Amino acid sequence: MIEHLPASRCPECRLVVAPPMRWCPRHPVEMTPTSVMGGGEVVTFTTLHSPPAGFRSPLHIALVDLIGGARLVCHGDQTQGLRIGSWVAIEAVGNVYYFSHLGTLDRARLFWRRAGRAGERMSAIAQSLAKRAWKGRFRGER
Amino acid sequence: MRDVWIAGADMTRVGRLEQRLQDLMAIATHAALRSADRDRPDSIVVATMNPEEFLGDANFASNVATHMGFANVPVIRVETATSSGAAAFYAGFAQIASGLARTVVVVGGEKMTHLPTPKVSELIGRSLDPYERSYGTTMPAFAALVTRALMARHGVGEREIAQVAVKNHANGARNPLAHFREEITLDMVLGSRMVADPLRLFHCCPISDGAAAIVLTAERATVRVAGVGQGTDALALRHRESLTSFRATQAAASAAFAMAGFGPERVDVAEIHDAFAPFELISLEDVGLFPPGKAGAATLDGETALDGRLPINPSGGLKARGHPLAATGLAQIVECVWQLTWCVPRRQVRCSVALAQSIGGPGTNNWVTILEAG
Repeated sequence: MIEHLPASRCPECRLVVAPPMRWCPRHPVEMTPTSVMGGGEVVTFTTLHSPPAGFRSPLHIALVDLIGGARLVCHGDQTQGLRIGSWVAIEAVGNVYYFSHLGTLDRARLFWRRAGRAGERMSAIAQSLAKRAWKGRFRGER
Repeated sequence: MRDVWIAGADMTRVGRLEQRLQDLMAIATHAALRSADRDRPDSIVVATMNPEEFLGDANFASNVATHMGFANVPVIRVETATSSGAAAFYAGFAQIASGLARTVVVVGGEKMTHLPTPKVSELIGRSLDPYERSYGTTMPAFAALVTRALMARHGVGEREIAQVAVKNHANGARNPLAHFREEITLDMVLGSRMVADPLRLFHCCPISDGAAAIVLTAERATVRVAGVGQGTDALALRHRESLTSFRATQAAASAAFAMAGFGPERVDVAEIHDAFAPFELISLEDVGLFPPGKAGAATLDGETALDGRLPINPSGGLKARGHPLAATGLAQIVECVWQLTWCVPRRQVRCSVALAQSIGGPGTNNWVTILEAG
């Protein structure tokens, strides 16, 4: 099940942030409340081997591009097999957000909901294929 | 705007030091005044990042001015996290450029090695966004998130990043004031303990004590301040547009070059904020010294070594000279002054324009300072 997360949007630059903030970081205007889907693509991640007091080692942290625009810092159970570009689901446990790898069904559902009209869906599929081919080219080179 | 000149510069040794911070800052100040052949400044600008928590001292501008025998000289303190020294330099520069003062001493210092490492990390980490901090993000974690994104980019791998540390240690070995004076190898870096994946221990700068001071003057001297620029960015990493470049450095560099009236092609030597080795590669591109995506390969090819096309961090950088927080921005400028006045045997670079770049907190308040031999 994909959750929805509270977020806020800048009426001026359309920046979406999660968790919500009162003022846009770039404009002195009040943000409008909105929500974003609790799933998205990993932008970067790390495993901290000497975390600060109050956290257990190893500590997994990821930055995730949520569907709907916001980026979120969250914890995870593990980073094994995780890569930049991996799809993860976000879940709130207490007040803390956790990421977990997505199953095929969830990924399909996310993809379907993200790309609205049929034409957009086709172009999204084409873009995704092109991106994979491009990445594969670099991997072959190195 | 009046021309601003540097009449003197000096610093203490960097490392695990016994003296109190007030003593270190007094020693640096008196030495810088002696090298400038002056007895007393019109005003003093003090930089310390966090004496309240590192030492339990507040009202630190008056504290240190009184300690060094300048109780009756006007003094202020400037703070922009880890770039406080560069920010203080700007405050002193502005006092002279505006005609408010004719001679200003800028002195920065920090004392941290008396505290246990986890405590120091926690105190430095408080300069991060509170929400991201609540997820256990420390400065190394922030740097690791940036590094992972950087390495996903074509042209930056483990060897390119590790070579920054190897090169800066080689330079530090030639600097008698440096914290680390031992050369290291690529294998030592790649084999060192993982701190925050993909960052290893030898990618990170040490915790150091030290102080540095500069004497600025309205009278013609051997080194002229050609440009000073500041740049800022959102505190939270999740609010940034780019992870693999720092907007704050780019803005600081363009402001500094605009003031100088020339571009990066005239820079002969630079001191760059390598608190974490990959930050040197990011910063070289942000400042415009290398085209985007080229700093890694250039480093591996030796272009940034002492005998390379554009020597970077001849002092050893934060990695080997050490990183006594608020002293660092000024220690970089001290090295630039010494390079421009040809007084650093064993690591002297042929130069007439030098640049220093300083990062405040997680790249939120950065500075670029450009100096020119007069």
